Order: sequence, then structure tokens, then C-alpha cells
Amino acid sequence: MDALNTYFNSYTIVGVFLVIGILLPLVAWGIGALVQPHEPNEEKEKTYESGLDPFHEATVKFHVRYYHIAILFVIFDVETIFLYPWAVAYDKLGLFALIEMLIFVTLLLIGLLYAWKKKVLKWM
Amino acid sequence: MDLQTLLSFHWDTMMPEFIILISATVLSLIDLFIGRSFSRKFFGWASFIAVVAALVSLISLSDHGVTTILNNSYVFDSFSIVFKAILLIGTALVILMAISDKFENIEEVKSEYFYLLMTGLLGAMFMSSSGDLITLFIGLELLSISSYILVAIRKENSKSNEAAMKYIINGSIASAILLFGLSYIYGLTGSTDLAAVQQIVSTLSGTELSGLLGLSFLFIIVGFTFKIAAAPFHMWAPDVYQGASTPVAAFLSVVSKSAGFIIIIRVLLNIYAGAYSPDGQLPLLINMQNYIFTISAITIILGNAVALMQTNIKRMFAYSSVAHAGYILVPLAAVSPLLFENIWFYLLAYTVTNIGAFAVIQYVVSDENNENIEAFRGLYKRKRSMAIALLFFLISLAGIPGTVGFIAKLQIIASALANNPINITIVVIMILGTLVSYFYYFRVIAEMFFKGDRLELQPPKNEIPFNLIVVIGVCVAATIVLGLMPNLALDNFYKLFS
Repeated sequence: MDALNTYFNSYTIVGVFLVIGILLPLVAWGIGALVQPHEPNEEKEKTYESGLDPFHEATVKFHVRYYHIAILFVIFDVETIFLYPWAVAYDKLGLFALIEMLIFVTLLLIGLLYAWKKKVLKWM
Repeated sequence: MDLQTLLSFHWDTMMPEFIILISATVLSLIDLFIGRSFSRKFFGWASFIAVVAALVSLISLSDHGVTTILNNSYVFDSFSIVFKAILLIGTALVILMAISDKFENIEEVKSEYFYLLMTGLLGAMFMSSSGDLITLFIGLELLSISSYILVAIRKENSKSNEAAMKYIINGSIASAILLFGLSYIYGLTGSTDLAAVQQIVSTLSGTELSGLLGLSFLFIIVGFTFKIAAAPFHMWAPDVYQGASTPVAAFLSVVSKSAGFIIIIRVLLNIYAGAYSPDGQLPLLINMQNYIFTISAITIILGNAVALMQTNIKRMFAYSSVAHAGYILVPLAAVSPLLFENIWFYLLAYTVTNIGAFAVIQYVVSDENNENIEAFRGLYKRKRSMAIALLFFLISLAGIPGTVGFIAKLQIIASALANNPINITIVVIMILGTLVSYFYYFRVIAEMFFKGDRLELQPPKNEIPFNLIVVIGVCVAATIVLGLMPNLALDNFYKLFS
């Protein structure tokens, strides 16, 4: 049974992370609740809206274009994440990484062309 | 990796994929930059030519030896050649069908329609050439995502939207389950390379870890049976076939299903045939045979029984394609020695007959604007050539001698029985299923030939488009010629595998 036990024991680390992940916010809230003073007033109970006074319902519909922009943003965000370490380690990685990066950037460029021509970038 | 190693790979073996990839990209760019008023008619023929060019380059590469590219992630061997040929033939015929497809917003999406078919094909081709679990999964997702969009392409049709929604949700769940199964394999072997996995897995034999391997087998088989629409994971098929445009339904029932079988064979034979069960006696594949047997039996029974009750012709063909998936699983369930050629020949037979049948359905349904079986009433008196063509396809699907469907079924049954007499159970289920299938196939034939008052019948409003004539002609010819001389195809197969 040794091999099987070893296999399942490797999950211990996952369990530890799970427990820490649950405990961390609980402990933070718990200690906060224990030590904080409790003096509510009207100003404090207002919904937080970046300093402005809340002026209408919170459940408004967002325009679908926000999602287009958000998806485009995520794609190019990820591109930066890939480009940055590549640029730092450029000397060591050599030509192969350059070719791979060019393919990757070309793919995203075609995606950007598509988004541009399908008028995702235009706010109508 | 330096440039020398990079250039030392035989990139020429990837030629068919490059042709498809480049033409799909170029077509999508052309689509973006030519004006709205410009006619998009040439897109269909351009993509047809690209697929045929890929097929030609695949055939010209056929005497190239086994090649691997990029640490085994792309494998070019005889297995991938023969199955890619089916995928390319199937897609070429589907693109020809799609050229004359009509639906509400076709003018708006005509160009996307064709390059999505091509990216789907590209995914399927990478699946058949993958030597690594990562390439395999990316190919699978490329095919799946393209087909989700293809199903949803009739934006103004509520049935199509419903179908696409069901397909994408169920498909994502199936992908997740498949990935979970693959993660067990990675966890046990520490590698995603199929050749390395095969070696490591054989050293696990006899330990308790092969129990975990069995668990991964169950998850993987669930993920794959969704793709081939085998029971009990077939429920998406009827809704999706009904909602999707007819060429897309043909693409899903032929190309997508073939791709599913290709990776089932690759994964099962590479990983599980070499692994041993916990007691170390039998290969895991033999040990888990009962599960494939059960799936195959349920699929045959359920697909045929439910097809009997359908009134919509596309739903009926969806259930018939479920039943055919069950027949193709029989060689795997029986672990026949001739598994490759049985499955390959059945997929070839199914490709030519089913695409032909869908081409006739596309013509009749769009002419009558009615998807029910009554749309075929008196077709023999209204359009003789169409009725006779559909007759050939239906008797081939039913497996009547003289057609390619009969040879394909005969081979499966013969080699299943030759391997082990105990396979008689699954063979009997298969034959009974075929018998039941006669009822619903012959109902369409009866509707075409024996029903309808001559005086009330109207001749069809539209002429048959030229491209559909080509598709139906090629399919009828292949159905009959391969039915009488199956060796035309099988000789080429053996030449590659000898």
C-alpha cells in the first residue's frame, strides 16, 4: 500500500492550503470583531461609493460593451505578463524564444485587427 | 532549444496543417479588410480548394517515415495519415454542402462559417497527430470551440441559440471531467508525453497505483464519449443537430465524431494497453473492457429505440448517429486484433453515407421549409434523382449488402467474433440494433416511394445547386464502389501499415 499512501499523502499540501485559505479571512475578521469599537451612525452605514453619496439602485445593468473591453484588456494584460520575463531573459533564451514570441504577438495582433474591424474598440 | 534542433525537425510533415492554418488566417483577414458590399461567394470555394490541397499534400507525404516534432508533441505516423484523410474528405464535402446553405443571417456570417469549419478541422487534425496530452487537449478544444460557434451561427433562430447554449455548457463539463482524468495520469507518471507515459505506466503494474489508473480511465472515457455522442452522454446530440444548420450537423456527426474516436484509440492504446491491473494479470484495457462494452450496448439500444419515435428528420439522424457511435465502439469493446482497420473503414463508410444523406436532407428541408419526415413524401415522384440517392444512403446506413455500410458492419462483427467467442453478446446486440434501425430508415424510404397522391404532389421549387450535385454524386459513387470493391480503400490502408 506504500505507493498508494505516498500518492494520497501528496494531497496533504493541498489540504494545508485549503485550511489556511479558510482560516486566514476568518481569523482576520474574528480578531477585528474582537478588538474594534462598535459605534454605528448613519454616515457609517451608507454604501461606500468612492467617496460620493450613493444616488441610485446598486443593481443597474452594465452595457455589454464593458465585457468586450474587459476581455480585450485581459488578453493584452496576459501578453505583457509573457513579454516581460522574455525581454528580461532575452540574451539567454536565444532565437527560438524570439520566433515563439513573434508567433504569439502575431496571433494577438490578428485578434486585435479582428476586434478593431468588428468595431469593438468604438463606443457607439 | 537552439536553431539547429529547430530546423532539424521535419516541418514538411506538418504541411497539411500549415495549409489549413494559413488559408483560414488569410481568409479571416481578407474578410476583415474587404468592404461590406463585396461578395463573399468565393470564400466557400477558396476553403474547399485549401482542404483539397491539404488532402493532396497529405497523400504526397504518405511514404514519409514516422516523424516526431518538438519533443514528441506532434507525431506523423501511418495512424495519423489514414485518419486525417477521413477528416479532410469529410470536411471538404461539408464545405461543398455549406456553399449553398441558406438561413436567416447567412449573408452576414458567410465568411466566418467557412473559416470556422477550417479551424475545427485543424483541431481535429492536431488531435489525430498528437503525441502529447497537451497537444491532444488543445486540438480537442480548438475543435469544440469552433463547433460551439458554428452551432450558434444562426443568430436569429431561437432553436440554434438554445442548441448552442446546451452544447457549450455540456461540452465544458465534459472537458473538465476529461482534464480531471488526464490530471491523474500526469500525477501518476509526471509526464504528459504519451510515449513516456506508456513506459512509466508499465512499471506501475501490479502496484495499487494501477487502481488510480483505472479511475483515470473512467474519467477519460466519460470525456471522450461526450465527443462521440455515445449514451449516456448523448443528450446534447438531438437538440444540437436540430438547431444547427444542416452542414454543421453533418460536420458534427462525421468530423467531430471521427476526431473523438481517433483520440479514444490513441489514448486507450497508448496508456491503458501497456498498464496492468492491480493483480498484475491482465492489461488494464482488458480489465476495463466491461465498461466500454456497457457503453457500447446502451448506446446501440438507446440510439435505435429512440430514433423510432422521432418525427423530425434531423433528430432522427442524430439518434441514428448515436447508434452508429455504438457500433464503432464494438471493436474497442471486443478488443479486436483488427481494431484499427475496422474503425477506420467504418468511419470512412459513415463519412460518405452520412454526408450524402445530410446533403439530400439539406436540399429537401430548405425546399419544403419543413424538417419533418413528411417533407419527403412522394419525393420519388417529385425529384427522382434525389429519392434514389437517399435510398442508397439509407440502405448503406442500415447495412444492406452491396453498399459500403454492409462491408463495414460485416468486418466489425467478423473480427469481434474471431477474437473471442465471448463477444457474441455484443455482436447480437449490434445485429438486433441494426434490425431495429431498419424500421426508421425504411419509414423514410416508404414515405419517399409509396406515399403521396400523384395529383397533390408539387414539383420542387428550386433546382438542385451544382455543389450539392457534386457532393451527392461523390457520396453515391463511394457508397456503391466501396460496397462492391472495399479493397480499393483497404489496400491503401494496408500499404501504409505494412
